[in-house]
Amino acid sequence: MTTGADVRDILELGGGDSENTGIISKKDILNSDKKKSKKSAETLTFKRPEGMHREVYALLYSDKKDAPPLLPSDTTQGYRTVKAKLGCKRVRPWKWMPFTNPARKDGAMFYHWRRAAEEGKDYPFARFNKTVQIPVYSEQEYQMYLHDDGWTKAETDHLFDLCRRFDLRFIVIHDRYDHQQFKKRSAEDLKERYYSICSKLTNIRAPPGTDLKMLVFDAGHERRRKEQLERLYNRTPEQVSEEEYLIQELRKIESRKKEREKKAQDLQKLITAADTTTEMRRAERKATKKKLPQKKETEKPAVPETAGIKFPDFKSAGVTLRSQRMKLPSSVGQKKIKALEQMLTELGVDLNPMPTEEIVQMFNELRSDLILLYELKQAFANCEYELQMLRHRYDALAKAGSLGPLSGEGASTDAHSSIGMEEGKGDGKDSIIDVVGAPLTPNSRKRRESASSSSSVKKVKKP
Amino acid sequence: MSGGVYGGDEVGALVFDIGSFSIRTGYAGEDCPKADFPTTVGLLPHDESAMEIDGDKEKKAGKTYYIDTNSLHVPRENTEVISPLKNGMIEDWDCFQAILDHTYSKHIKSEPNLHPVLMSEAPWNTRAKREKLTELMFEHYNIAAFFLCKTAVLTAFANGRSTGLVLDSGATHTTAIPVHDGYVLQQGIVKSPLAGDFISMQCRELFQEMSTEIVPPYMIAAKEAVREGAPPNWKKKEKLPQVSKSWHHYMCNEVIQDFQASVLQVSDSPYDEQVAAQMPTVHYEMPNGYNTDYGAERLRIPEGLFDPSNVKGLSGNTMLGVGHVVTTSIGMCDIDIRPGLYGSVIVTGGNTLLQGFTDRLNRELSQKTPPSMRLKLIASNSTMERRFSPWIGGSILASLGTFQQMWISKQEYEEGGKQCVERKCP
Repeated sequence: MTTGADVRDILELGGGDSENTGIISKKDILNSDKKKSKKSAETLTFKRPEGMHREVYALLYSDKKDAPPLLPSDTTQGYRTVKAKLGCKRVRPWKWMPFTNPARKDGAMFYHWRRAAEEGKDYPFARFNKTVQIPVYSEQEYQMYLHDDGWTKAETDHLFDLCRRFDLRFIVIHDRYDHQQFKKRSAEDLKERYYSICSKLTNIRAPPGTDLKMLVFDAGHERRRKEQLERLYNRTPEQVSEEEYLIQELRKIESRKKEREKKAQDLQKLITAADTTTEMRRAERKATKKKLPQKKETEKPAVPETAGIKFPDFKSAGVTLRSQRMKLPSSVGQKKIKALEQMLTELGVDLNPMPTEEIVQMFNELRSDLILLYELKQAFANCEYELQMLRHRYDALAKAGSLGPLSGEGASTDAHSSIGMEEGKGDGKDSIIDVVGAPLTPNSRKRRESASSSSSVKKVKKP
Repeated sequence: MSGGVYGGDEVGALVFDIGSFSIRTGYAGEDCPKADFPTTVGLLPHDESAMEIDGDKEKKAGKTYYIDTNSLHVPRENTEVISPLKNGMIEDWDCFQAILDHTYSKHIKSEPNLHPVLMSEAPWNTRAKREKLTELMFEHYNIAAFFLCKTAVLTAFANGRSTGLVLDSGATHTTAIPVHDGYVLQQGIVKSPLAGDFISMQCRELFQEMSTEIVPPYMIAAKEAVREGAPPNWKKKEKLPQVSKSWHHYMCNEVIQDFQASVLQVSDSPYDEQVAAQMPTVHYEMPNGYNTDYGAERLRIPEGLFDPSNVKGLSGNTMLGVGHVVTTSIGMCDIDIRPGLYGSVIVTGGNTLLQGFTDRLNRELSQKTPPSMRLKLIASNSTMERRFSPWIGGSILASLGTFQQMWISKQEYEEGGKQCVERKCP
C-alpha cells in the first residue's frame, strides 16, 4: 500500500487516495491495520452453539477462525509495543514564508519555517502575549484627586511609565527608577503611591452606590516586615550560634524540669499512700472494735491502689486454696521480694504462716505495709542523697568564690528549706535551671512529714 | 513549528556574543556557536603594500585588521594587537565593524539583511553605546531586526532560570550580577578585576621569578627533548620579521594561558603553605622544550582570586575575592529576593574552568550564607556551556516563538530612531 502511494506520489498522479490527504493522527501512525481487523472480525463472528463451554469455543474459534495452533506461536497482538508505521502518508511540506505577528504593533514582517498547509493562519504564539492593565489618569483627574505633597506629577508619570514597562515588577522598577532626577525612594514608597492611586481611581470611576471591596497596601507593615527580615539577615555568626545554644539550653532545662516534676509526683503519691494507710488503719481499729464480723466488706474497697502490694481478688475463681491468696502478685519485683523476706525475718514472722482467714488477711496487710515502708525509705534516701549532692556542689561553688558566706550558713542549719534558695544562687546557668525546679521546695517539708509518717507506720505496724 | 507545546520558532536569527576574550557567533536555535575567535585583532596602521590578496584581513580607512586566530598568529611587521572593547563595552567602532564584516563574510556567509540579530552586551553598557550599536546595525548592515540583551540574563536563560545571581569570571573581570525575572538589577552589580588576565599576570611574574623564558611557538624552528629542569635546546626561526611588542606579548600570553589551563588549581581550603607543598606536582613543558614540575605555585596563584589580601603587586588590597563579590552583590538587593538569589548562583565564564574553582566557591559561600537561606551553585559541567553560556542563552531566546514580538524591527527603528533601544531592550 505504501509503495503504491509512493509511486503515485512520485508520478504526481493525484486522486485515488482521498483518505491520505488528511492530517495524520497519532493513531494512524501507530497501527493502521487495527481498523481492518476489527471490521473483518465483525463480519466473521459465529454464534457459540448452545451447550458449548466458552473455553472450548474459544479454543475452536479464535478471532481469525483458524484452527488453534498445535505449537505455541507468537500472536500478532499481545503484550508488544506497536511499531510506528512511518511513511504511510503523504509528506506535508514545510515552507520558508513571511509572517506577521499580531502581538507586534508595527506589523513587521519576519520569515520562518512553517507547514505549507498552515500558510496564512494566525501566528500561534501571539496568544501568549499578556500584559498587565495599568490604569491611566488624565491631567484633570490628577489635579482633583491624585495630588500628593510628596510627589510631583512628573514623578508619578515616571512611576506609571515604569510600571507599564516592567509589568509591575516593583523590584525592577525600583532598580531602574530615575533616582538622579527624583529623590530616592524605597520600593515600598513606590508601591504605596501606585496602589493608592489605583484605589482612588477605581473609587472615583465606580458608579455611585456600588460597594467596592478595596485592597489596601499597608506600606508601614511592609516596611516593618522588611526591617525585621533585614535584621534577621544581618545577624553575625556569633549571634546565630548563641541563639542555637540558648535554644538547646532551654530544651535541657525543660527536660530536667519534667524529670523533677515526675519525681515529685512519685514522691507525692507515696506520701499520700502512707497517709491514707495510717488513717485507714486507725479507722479500721475503731471499726474492728465495733463490728468485727463485717470488717471484710468495709475495708476492702478502701485499700489504696497506689502503693504497697495489690493482692488480686479470688472471688470468681471457684474452689481455691486459701494459701493462694498469700501468693505475691507478679507485679512485685525481685528486689522487693528479697527486701520483703529480709524484713519479715527481722520481724520474726514466718514466711509461710498457716493460712487461716485472719492470718491471710493480716499477713497480706503486713507485707503491703512493709513494701510501702520500703519504698518510702528508698525515696527518703534518694532525697537525702540529692540534698547531699547539692550541698556539696554549693560548698564547692562557695569555695570557688563569689558566693556570700551567709547563705552557706543558712544551708548548714536549715538544709531542707533552703535548697531552692541555695540553688538559686548558684552560677549563671544553674540558676536558670533551678528557678524552674523551685516548686520542689514545698516538697522538702513534705519529705520530713513523710519521714515522720513512715515512723508512724512502724508504730502502727508493731502491735 | 506550528504547535504551541514546543515553543520554538525558527526565523533565521543570528546571535552575537561579544566577550572580552572571544567573540561567539552562530544561528539561533543551534546548540553551539558556529564561530569562536579572539576579540583581539592585529592592526596594521598604514597599509602601503596594498597588493596583498590575503583573504582574512579587513581594510578600513587605510588600516588593515587581522582578524581570527589564523591570520592573527602570522608574525607580521609593525602589526599591533588591539581590542575593540574596553571594560566590556565597545570602544573602537572601526575595529568592531571590521570584526562584524569578517564574521558575516567568513563565518555566516550570508547577507546581513536576511537575518535578525540578537547581540549580547555588558550589563553596565551605557546608553550612548547601545544607541550607537543599534544605529550601526540598522544603518550599515541594514538588518531586519535587532535586539540587545545583557549577558547575565542570557546566561541565566541558558541555565534554565529567570532569577539568579550570575557570577561571571571571564578574562578581564569577575562580576556578580543579580537577575530578577529576566531583568538585570543594575544597582546590585559588583565588579572585580581579579579574573583570567590577572592570573596570567601572576603567572608571568612567576616565570620571571623562576627566570623561565617564555618563547612563543612562532619563534621556534626546531627543538630537542631535554631532561627535566635542564636548559632548553631549541633553534630560533630565521628571518623573523620585526614584530611589535604588543603582538609578541599577546603570543606569550597564549603560552601562559595554556599553562594556566593545564597546571593551575584552586585549593579546597584557604591557602596553606604546608598543605600546598604536599599536593601532587604537575609536569609542564614549554613550547621550547623546557620542562619541569610545578608544586605549591599551582595553588598559590589562583588563591589570589579568593583571597586577594596576600597578592603581591596589588595596591591597598581593596579588591574583593570571588566569594565577597557574590555576597556583596546579594546584600545590595532587596531582602525579599535574596533567598532566590542564593538559591541559584550561576557560575559562568572561562576563568571558572580552573580546576577546583566551583568547589572552593561553594565552600566559601556556604560559610557566608545566612542560615535562613539555602545555597545552590549552578555550574554546568561541560566546558562549552561554561564558556559560551551567554551565546547559548541567546540562541534559546532568539528561537522562542514568544520572543518574536520583542525584536526592534526596521520599521520601529525608522519611526522611533535609535532611542527605541532603551525602551525595547531593558
